[in-house]
Amino acid sequence: MSKDNKSTAKKGTPLSGIGKGLREIGRTFTEGDWTAKLSFVIMGFGQLLHRQFLRGIIFLAIEIFFIYYMVTFGAVYISKLPTLGTSATYVDKSGNVPVTIYGDNSFLILLYGILSLFVLFAFLFLWRVNIRQNRQIYLLKKAGKALPTSRQDFRSLFTENFDKTLLALPNIGIFVFIVIPIIFMICIAFTNYDAQHQPPSNLFGWVGLENFKNLLSIGGSGFGSTFFTVLGWTLVWAFFATFLNYFLGMGVAILINKKGIRFKKLWRTILVMTIAIPQFVSLLYVYKLFANDGLVNAYLLKWGLIDSYIPFWSNVAIARVLIIVINLWVGIPPTMLMATGILMNIPEDLYESARIDGANAFQMFRSITLPYMLFVTGPYLLTAFTGNLNNFNVIFLLTQGNPLSMDLAGGAGYTDLLITWLYKLTVNDTNYRMAAVIGIMVFAVTAVISLVVYRLLPSVRDEEGFQ
Amino acid sequence: MKKKIVSVLLAGAMALSLAACGSAGGSGDSAGNATAGAEDSGDVDYGSGTIKIWVAEQSVDFTKEQAQKFIDENEAYSGYDINVEAVGEGDAASNMITDVASGADVFVFAQDQMARLVSAGAVSEIIGDYADFVTENNDEGSVEASKMGDSIYAFPVTSDNGYFLYYDKNVISDPSTLEGIVADCEKAGKGFYMEVNNGWYMPAFFFGAGCTLTYDTDSDGNFTAIDATYASQEGVEAMKAIVNLTKSTAFYNGSSVSNATNAAAIVDGTWDASAAKELFGNGYACAKLPTFTVDGQTYQMGGFGGFKLMGVKPQSDTGKATVCLELAKYLTSAEVQVERYKAVAWGPSNLEAQKDESVQADEALSALNEQLQYTIPQGQYPQGFWDLSTSLADDIIAGTYDNASDDQLMTALENYQATCESYVTK
Amino acid sequence: MANKNKEKKTASRSRNRKIGNAITYAILIIISIIWLFPFVGLVLQSFRSYASEYGGMVAYLMPKEFSLDNYTYLFSGDCSFVRWYLNTLIVAVCAAIFNTFMVLSVAYALSRLRFRGRTLLMQFWLILGMFPGFLTMICMYFLLQQFGLTQAGAIPGLVLVTVASSGMGYYVAKGFLDTMPKALDESARLDGASNARIAVTIILPLAKPIIIYTALTAFMAPWCDYVFASYVAFGYSKSYNVAVALQRWVWTNDYQGYFTRFCAGGVLVAIPVTILFLCLQKYYVEGVTGGAVKG
Repeated sequence: MSKDNKSTAKKGTPLSGIGKGLREIGRTFTEGDWTAKLSFVIMGFGQLLHRQFLRGIIFLAIEIFFIYYMVTFGAVYISKLPTLGTSATYVDKSGNVPVTIYGDNSFLILLYGILSLFVLFAFLFLWRVNIRQNRQIYLLKKAGKALPTSRQDFRSLFTENFDKTLLALPNIGIFVFIVIPIIFMICIAFTNYDAQHQPPSNLFGWVGLENFKNLLSIGGSGFGSTFFTVLGWTLVWAFFATFLNYFLGMGVAILINKKGIRFKKLWRTILVMTIAIPQFVSLLYVYKLFANDGLVNAYLLKWGLIDSYIPFWSNVAIARVLIIVINLWVGIPPTMLMATGILMNIPEDLYESARIDGANAFQMFRSITLPYMLFVTGPYLLTAFTGNLNNFNVIFLLTQGNPLSMDLAGGAGYTDLLITWLYKLTVNDTNYRMAAVIGIMVFAVTAVISLVVYRLLPSVRDEEGFQ
Repeated sequence: MKKKIVSVLLAGAMALSLAACGSAGGSGDSAGNATAGAEDSGDVDYGSGTIKIWVAEQSVDFTKEQAQKFIDENEAYSGYDINVEAVGEGDAASNMITDVASGADVFVFAQDQMARLVSAGAVSEIIGDYADFVTENNDEGSVEASKMGDSIYAFPVTSDNGYFLYYDKNVISDPSTLEGIVADCEKAGKGFYMEVNNGWYMPAFFFGAGCTLTYDTDSDGNFTAIDATYASQEGVEAMKAIVNLTKSTAFYNGSSVSNATNAAAIVDGTWDASAAKELFGNGYACAKLPTFTVDGQTYQMGGFGGFKLMGVKPQSDTGKATVCLELAKYLTSAEVQVERYKAVAWGPSNLEAQKDESVQADEALSALNEQLQYTIPQGQYPQGFWDLSTSLADDIIAGTYDNASDDQLMTALENYQATCESYVTK
Repeated sequence: MANKNKEKKTASRSRNRKIGNAITYAILIIISIIWLFPFVGLVLQSFRSYASEYGGMVAYLMPKEFSLDNYTYLFSGDCSFVRWYLNTLIVAVCAAIFNTFMVLSVAYALSRLRFRGRTLLMQFWLILGMFPGFLTMICMYFLLQQFGLTQAGAIPGLVLVTVASSGMGYYVAKGFLDTMPKALDESARLDGASNARIAVTIILPLAKPIIIYTALTAFMAPWCDYVFASYVAFGYSKSYNVAVALQRWVWTNDYQGYFTRFCAGGVLVAIPVTILFLCLQKYYVEGVTGGAVKG
């Protein structure tokens, strides 16, 4: 950590960095020989002439590809980005059958526009790398040193550049399937892409902050009060889901690990079944168990414990409590496993000396077990909490967010989390604009909570401290 | 400088993706230009390809058979293959809207999805001879259902998308009044099932009490006007009836036979007929919906008479457009509708098919027909209407209005109606 | 006197312990019943006779007649269950192999190598991870569609998406690698071994528990992937995975009386996953305790 800190400090502000970069480009041009100068236009030229074939060919190929790409494809999409398309789809009804002639597709314009911008940035960056390499050639030659050969370049991938080799593939994957889509969806939050503006038949366009205003406007058809209701329940849910699971999981672990308890492995295995069996099977079955005419109600009625069925899923309060309780069923086992491992690490002599001092079981738990667990599992609690904020499966497979209410807009229900609401808006209503806004809000909530907790937990920040 | 390799690989990945994108982007344009084909002039080349059809699970085999027959009988269409997939009538619309390009060419959907499909441009308008075919051969309600504004967008397939009462005559002595049914159920410890929290079933009470709620549409899929009288004394009476029903220990919210574990009576449609026969065994019987009584006043339950429709995806190629329309026309013709009734018991919308003896003799269909005189043909409703109705009914079921005064009920209904009105765009 | 007191104390303590243990056993047994009940119910339902008791919901636990009707249906020609099963298996196996490779690459690089932009990268990914996954569903769908990897190509598409983004789930593996002493690498480096050589010959063999943990979790996830799998495969039943196909039986009205078949399918899905999990439980425990705590 400290090492990295120093290197960032050395870099200085980004602005001065750019200034320095520009100065270096200028110096390369003025001081460099004609091959370096030509490399400003023809990338890789200097490298090729200095027998760095691998580098030279790659740079040349990149430039050719870039020009080809921009001319045939990219430039059109970038130019359409400001409007997201103007030519509308129309239907030719002159014959006996209607024929549709599709116009601009706003979706693809936005997607390819973003992609092309990235290609542009990547190219500028590579051009800069190309310049820097030419400067390096010039400097090395001036110092009378040998230039790195292609073979050396290749070998470096397994030595000092091994990190690049390892991270190349994951980086590409994350860029294409996470970064691009996220940027795309952030853009969607500023458009009117919804059921009424659905490509390819309809265009959508930029609307500025309208969707954010809608999310925060209270009353009328605004999403304001609904958003805060759902957000409130999301936080309550995440709190209970995390801490109940945590403490009860720890409790079960203590019970199983108690001295003199036999068949430890059997108990653990039984509990662990809920991790192993896919949730879409187990939770759906549990949902049906608690239906108004499900097994639980049927047997309670039969045994005469109740006169009429308990509306487990249609009463808001019961449904919410039940969800939290059922979540224990899937949530306790992982905590139990984790706690088991950690509990074994607590030095036995701590308990021994406490016992001599006459402490009872509960006191020992409070003054030894709990502080130790909390210290060691702080980061785990944070990830568990943010994970529960986005715990889609439990809610969706149980209630799908129901019951709905007249007091909630946008098809949201009383057991909806932000994430299930987002899902419903996307899939049921194709209301992508609001889904995107809610997605950004989920991000904001997660980020704020993480940041706050992060500051409370010094152990999280001190990454190297664990080693 | 060391970043080079990462960057090169990055660029390579982009190159790959863009090459793929480029080819996909181009195909749309070329398809668009291929429209200048010759009009019907003897042997036209209709091209070739695959026609994707989406129908509900139970009619997949039937549709496959009939569509193949259609291709076999018409030499000119022999370039086309048929591919039938099981996509339910509800899902069909959502999937079509998500991605029209990958959607089916011909698909069956429930009429409540029409407005979404039209405004998303996921269903083609039907013009000329095909429009005449629809208006001339189908019952009035189904023709209305296939229209947005004055334009026709689909071929009617069935007129049986309504609901009525299945009951067990060993338990229910008199199916004509709701109070009687509920009392019998309570006595026997059995349940009366009705999916009240569904915008489709709930109007049985409101329409029965004399309320209206209908929309006008234009041909682009917009809702232009509303005629609603839910916020009225009748509305309050209807809502009271629902509140009373949901208070009963015999009430279960649900209208699906195979999810009902304890039913003595269930409000459901013809598609569940065989399941209901199975469930009630020798007690199986059907009837129109019962009457309900509020404050001494008795009303007959009403509701919707709905329709299943067959739509065609907007095509940019004249040849394929013609084949799809011809195929849809064939699959909704009198002959095939009778066959379909025999195969999967779907009640026809075609006037000629409705007169067929086997159709006339059906027990469930005659119960439905008896009920249909009290219902209105289901017109077009905005997507929000369905969610909103679920919201209102969920509140009722959760007990929010169990002890509410008339004024409170009125406030809720005013709120409901105002939101319904807010869906009108012009 | 003092001795006697002490004896009494130990006697009462052992009696206390016995009572304590009895209570503990009672609690554990109750918990076990609660935990197992749904699974027992599921299995019992799956053996209910389809022919004589119909396949819908019922309000009793014990089938009146046991039969294999539901299982026979799954393997009959009317049902593509085998195909769906294989689809899921393909995704799961590919994920187990390639995810592990990606995750370990990332974890190794971030844990044991120091390079420029390392913290920046970690912070960037941390921020990316705070965006909910479903947000980008529509965009991912169209990205895949451009490659022809939806509907008919949905299974390779799912593999691609799963593997491509797996690098971000490096935390547990990194936590594990962090605990290995740095001296291991350093002594090897002094002997002149390259980074790649150190990774393969020294670290990899020691990382066996975390490799198995990563592969196991990657293998288990696709069996429950309903949301995105149904989103990319819609309208093309040959590309469904088990979760998508079985969910439809429960949620869509078109499938009346499929509940017991759903249970049977669920049992068949659960069996191999459960067995695998129970066999490799040890590694899973090491993973959650070792890695998760390190964050």
